[in-house]
Amino acid sequence: MHKIWLIVKREYVLGVKSKAFVVMTLLIPLLGIVSVVLVGFVSKHGSNQSLRLAIVDNAGGSAASISQNLGAPMANGVHQFAISETLDRPADPEDAEQKLRASINAGKLDAYLVIPSDLSKPFELHMKNTGNFAARAAVMPAVNQALIEARLRARGINVDNVSEIVRGADLEVIKVTISGESVERGQTFGIAVGLVILLYMSLLMYGIVTMRSVLEEKTTRTMEVLVSSVQPIQLLAGKILGVAGVAFTQFLIWIVSLSLLLTYGAFMAAMFGGGSFPVIHIPASLLFSVICFFFGGYFLYASMFAAIGAACSNEQDAGQLQWLAMGPLVFAMSFYWLVMIDSTSTPSIVLSEIPFLAPVLMPLRIAIQTPPAWQLALSVVLLFGTILGAVWASAKVYRIGVLMYGKRPTLPEMLRWVRYS
Amino acid sequence: MDAISLENVTKSYDGVTAVNDVSLRVRQGAILGLLGPNGAGKTSTIRMVMNILVPDEGSIRVFGEPVSDTTREAIGYLPEERGLYPRMKVRAVIVFLASLRGMPEGEARRRADAWLERFELKDWADKEVRDLSKGMQQKVQFTSAVLHEPRLIILDEPFSGLDPVNAATVKDVMLEMRDRGTTVVLSSHRMEQVERMCDSICLIDKGRNVLDGDLRAIKQSYGKNTVQIEFTGSDAFLSHPAVASVNRFGSGVEAKLKPGADPQEILKAALQSGVQIMRFELLEPSLNDIFIEKTGHA
Repeated sequence: MHKIWLIVKREYVLGVKSKAFVVMTLLIPLLGIVSVVLVGFVSKHGSNQSLRLAIVDNAGGSAASISQNLGAPMANGVHQFAISETLDRPADPEDAEQKLRASINAGKLDAYLVIPSDLSKPFELHMKNTGNFAARAAVMPAVNQALIEARLRARGINVDNVSEIVRGADLEVIKVTISGESVERGQTFGIAVGLVILLYMSLLMYGIVTMRSVLEEKTTRTMEVLVSSVQPIQLLAGKILGVAGVAFTQFLIWIVSLSLLLTYGAFMAAMFGGGSFPVIHIPASLLFSVICFFFGGYFLYASMFAAIGAACSNEQDAGQLQWLAMGPLVFAMSFYWLVMIDSTSTPSIVLSEIPFLAPVLMPLRIAIQTPPAWQLALSVVLLFGTILGAVWASAKVYRIGVLMYGKRPTLPEMLRWVRYS
Repeated sequence: MDAISLENVTKSYDGVTAVNDVSLRVRQGAILGLLGPNGAGKTSTIRMVMNILVPDEGSIRVFGEPVSDTTREAIGYLPEERGLYPRMKVRAVIVFLASLRGMPEGEARRRADAWLERFELKDWADKEVRDLSKGMQQKVQFTSAVLHEPRLIILDEPFSGLDPVNAATVKDVMLEMRDRGTTVVLSSHRMEQVERMCDSICLIDKGRNVLDGDLRAIKQSYGKNTVQIEFTGSDAFLSHPAVASVNRFGSGVEAKLKPGADPQEILKAALQSGVQIMRFELLEPSLNDIFIEKTGHA
C-alpha cells in the first residue's frame, strides 16, 4: 500500500505542477470571467449609443407615430434610436434618399427608413451595418404598430395605446422536475451540451495523460528499474489513482470557480457594465452524478489507455492503437443528439446503459430529465462491473507489455496476453 | 549459502535459446564478472535473477530463497537499458526510487546528497534529469542502485558510457562495497576491463556457461603459457615448434606456447640464434585468451 501511495504522490505532484495542467485549470475559469465581463461590458457599452435614424415618409402621416414608437427608451434608460430628421412626402424622393445615403457614408447618419407611398409595398431600411439585428428587430414592431394605428383610425376607431391592443401572448416553457419547477430559457439544453463536451473532453484528455505516463516509463526505460522495486499491478494502480487525483483537483477548481462565477456573475457583470446576466442554476444532484460518472468513466477508459501505453514502445504505435480506447467515446458522442431529442426513448435508455457509453450519455439524460432509479442503478452496476473487468484485463496486458519492446502487438496478441498470465 | 544460485536454467524466445542449461553459484561477499560477447545471454540471465523474466526450465535462488518479488527487493539493480524520469529533478528521482525500496525519505535525501557530492553532481541535484549528459545520468542511476545498501548488487554493463575518471570511481565504489560484505555481480562484454577487479568469473557464450570459478584458480590452471620477449636481432627463432602464435609489438613479441611446451626451449633457441635478449617474462593468459581457447572464437 505504501508503495502505491508513493507512486500516486509522484504522479499527482508531477501532474499538478505540469504546465498543461496549470494552463488548462486556469484557462477555463478565466474564460468564464472574461465572458461575464464581456457580457456586462457589451450590454452596457454596446447599447448606450443610439442609432441615428432618418425617416422618409412617402405616404405621409405615419412618420410621427413611428418615430414616437422608436423613440421610447429601453429598459436600461438608453434610447435605441435617435430620429435625426423626418422628411414628410419629399418633393423629390430620389434626391432626398441620395442625400441621406451621402450622410450615412459621411458617418453623420446610421440608417434611414423609407415608408412607401403605397403602404402595401415593403418598407425599406437602408443601413451600413446590416448585421445590427437588434435595430432590425426593433424597427418592425414600431412600424407595424404605427400602421395598425393608422388603419384603425381610417376606420374611425380612435385608440391611445395601440400596443396594448395588439400585444400578443408570450409562451413561457416551464421544466417540471421532482424538486419543483423552473422556467426554461434554454438553460437545460445549454447545460446538457456543455456537460457532454466537458465529459468527452476530460475523459479523453485524462485517458491520454495516463497512456502517456505509462509510455514515458517505457520509452525512457525507467520501467525496468521500477519493476525491480514494485509489482506492475502496484505501478498501474498508483498511476491511475494519481492521475485521478489530478483530474479531481482540476474538477474541484473548475466547479468552485464556476459556481462562484454563476453566483456572483450578475454582480460582476453589473460592476463592469450593468448589463443583465442570465442566472443559471445547476442542481447539486446533477453535479454529484456527473462527478460519479466521470470517475467511473475515467477508471474504465484510463485502464484501457494504460494497457495500450504498456503494449506500445513509442508514441507513433500508441497513436495508432489508442483508437481502441477512443472508439467507444467517439461512438458515445455520435449518439448524444439522440438522447437530447428524447431521453426517454428506448434507444436512449439502451445506449445509456452500455457501460462504455454511460459515462457520457447517463449524465446527459440526468441533465435533461431524471431517469427512473432502476435505470440509474443498473447503469452504475454495469459500469462498475465493467471497470473491474477492464482493470483486471489491463493489469494483465500491462504486466507483460511493460517489459516488451519492439514490434507493436496486434489486438489478438494483446487478447492472448490477457488469457495467458 | 550462496548469494545467487542457478540450476540448469534455460530460456528461449520464439525458438531462439538465449540461455541454455546454465548453472552458476555466486559466493556471498565476492565480485562476480559475468563475461561474454554481445548477445551471449548475460542480460537474459540477469533479468531472470531479477524475476523480470521467468526461466523456461531450471530454478534460481537468491540467498537461498526461490526468486520472487521479495528477493528482488533485496537487490540493487542497474539495468542494461538505462532510464530515469526525464522531467523529475535529480535528487527527487533518487529519493523516490529509494523510498520505493522502503527507505525513509529523510535518510534517502541525506544519502542522495552524499552520493551526488562524491560523483561531483551536487550542483545538479535540483536540475531535471533530462538536462544531464548521458554519463551524468548513468551516475545518478548507479547511485539509485546502491543507495539503499542492498546485500546484493547486480550491474549490467556498469562501465558503458563512462569516461575513465568516472569508471574508476564506480570501480572503487564496487570494491568498497565488496569489502563491506556486499555481493556484486557485474556483466561486461569487455573482458580486460573487469579482469582486474573480479574475484570470480563466469564466461558465457551462446547461452552456455563455458567456464566459471575463482579467477585466480582459473588462471593458474591455465599455467603461464605466454612469454613476452624483448630482443634485438632476427626473429627466426620464433618458428620453433613449441610456439603456437606470435603477437608482435614495438620492441618485442608476445608468443603463445603450445600446451605442455617448455618455455625454456624457446629461450634456448633464442640464445642459439644469436639475438640479444633484454627481457624474457612468463605471463598468465588473459581472460580473452582463455575465452578464445574455450570457445574457439573471439
